[in-house]
Amino acid sequence: MSRWIGLGALVAVALVSAVALGPAHVALGDLASSEIVRSLRVPRALLALLVGGSLGVAGASLQALVRNPLADPFLLGLSGGAGLGAVLAIALHVAGPWALPLAAFAGALGAMALVYRLGLVGGAQLDPRVLLLAGVAVGAFSGAITTAIVSLAEAADLRNAFLWLWGGLSGASWDTVLVMAVYIPVPLVVLYAAARPLDLLALGEEPATHLGADVEPLKRRVYIAASLLTAAAVAVSGVIGFVGLIVPHITRLVWGHRHRALLPAAFLGGGALLLFADTAARVVVAPRELPVGIVTALVGVPLFAVLLRRWAGVRS
Amino acid sequence: MRGLLLASVLALGCRPADRPATPPSAHRIVSLAPSSTELLFALGAGDQVVGRTTWCRYPPAALQVPDVGDGLNPNIEAIAARQPDLVVLYRSPLNETAATQLGRLGIPAVTLAQDRLEDIARAARELGRLTGREAAGDSIGAVMEALLGTPAPAPIARVAFVVWDNPPMVIGGGSYLDQLATLAGGANVFHDLGAASATVSIETIVARNPDLILVLSDSTAPPAYSTRREWRAVRAVREGRFITLPADLFGRPSPTAPAAVAALRRALEGATRR
Repeated sequence: MSRWIGLGALVAVALVSAVALGPAHVALGDLASSEIVRSLRVPRALLALLVGGSLGVAGASLQALVRNPLADPFLLGLSGGAGLGAVLAIALHVAGPWALPLAAFAGALGAMALVYRLGLVGGAQLDPRVLLLAGVAVGAFSGAITTAIVSLAEAADLRNAFLWLWGGLSGASWDTVLVMAVYIPVPLVVLYAAARPLDLLALGEEPATHLGADVEPLKRRVYIAASLLTAAAVAVSGVIGFVGLIVPHITRLVWGHRHRALLPAAFLGGGALLLFADTAARVVVAPRELPVGIVTALVGVPLFAVLLRRWAGVRS
Repeated sequence: MRGLLLASVLALGCRPADRPATPPSAHRIVSLAPSSTELLFALGAGDQVVGRTTWCRYPPAALQVPDVGDGLNPNIEAIAARQPDLVVLYRSPLNETAATQLGRLGIPAVTLAQDRLEDIARAARELGRLTGREAAGDSIGAVMEALLGTPAPAPIARVAFVVWDNPPMVIGGGSYLDQLATLAGGANVFHDLGAASATVSIETIVARNPDLILVLSDSTAPPAYSTRREWRAVRAVREGRFITLPADLFGRPSPTAPAAVAALRRALEGATRR
């Protein structure tokens, strides 16, 4: 129980600091009435929580699905697909305020469909190893097309598209928060409902089948739900690395391998990490801003190293 | 070792000892930056230009010159095929390497800084000398120096150049656009950023509260992001106070800078009177 209180407190501190701190000076007493806080900081903080949480849960589920600790939400080709979609939209001068996120989302879904299809090459069963290989292959292929377009087209705009892809929450508004808040509960519930069978899957597909898990539909559901979460995250905030890789491992060190506890913890942990990282990205070099993906790596990796050492110390 | 070599090349400036000497007057010039192409045409040396980059589109006559590809990471073979007696490159570490490579092929190459208005004055004189048009080069140089020597007028509007919306990128004090704005009576609210451009938070733009947003665009329509809710927190966006600057006049530091300053001045006056 105290672990949950600690995590809840961490999220609360992360939310409060994300709203209270920023490059513009807003006095503490004016926080509630400030336009900057109301229309920029609060939606951005909520979006960080939702995106970080989605990446944490997607990462934890995919690591269980492919039984590989290196799996992260972007390993399965989605970032490559999203990047291709975004760069195509810019190269073809698709206009409109939502063109970039929609194109990135479409690209991510395209990559997801392609990887899924390739994952079925061995027959009707989704082979996690083939899925991983297909993800890497689709990612590399779409990355190559993206680079080809960028090197042939006008430089400045597309370099900016790459910056967008490296991740950032500057597109946050009440609109994006609303879209995410309506969208992500469905995949989240699907994954949470699969928590118990995911525990069994960790034992291996055959033992899981013997213990009563319906392995094939389970794998498909988990793959599609985790990918849908990732596609939405990449559409609203680009590719934010390390959250989906490191948060599931950290939460596993504290909460163990039961997904019923692990998935909610990964959501809150991912949200807290991204909140802290984004606050740092906005404040540390103000008035300039860092790409948030750099900060998640700078914050997440040392944290992970410390926990890994403690964990190794407990085991030996 | 490589870094040392590169550093010494940079220290020596335009023409290190291992590169062939430039001819007294070049007749076959490949120009690998939009600003040097424009300068060569302005000097009256347009008919001596035998190669340009894909992005050199001004003046329109430049489009008649064969395209040799990119100016950054240039295609050495395509350049050599034009049999130039002078190659003009934009100055960057990668292009110093390209200049050395060209030198090994016996092709003289110079690299010119082309980032600020004072660079254009220097480049005009240098290119004038290299093309045997010293008088024209000195005259453009003098015009640019006179422009830079004019005391800046009292600011009549606070402006921000927003060049990209996600992540938001603005022009800082290191850019020629900041110089143009200052000369036209626009105070760039991001002048304190030393870099030519920088990523900032929308929040910072809201806090600095520019009167006008300047947009580099050939279309006069407001930019697509102006209808996005997070951008409407910026007063100038909410009030639709945009000035669009056409690429021909504002897209690079150029000898037409006096005309750009005058055009921007008129636009600022028009917008503040509104």
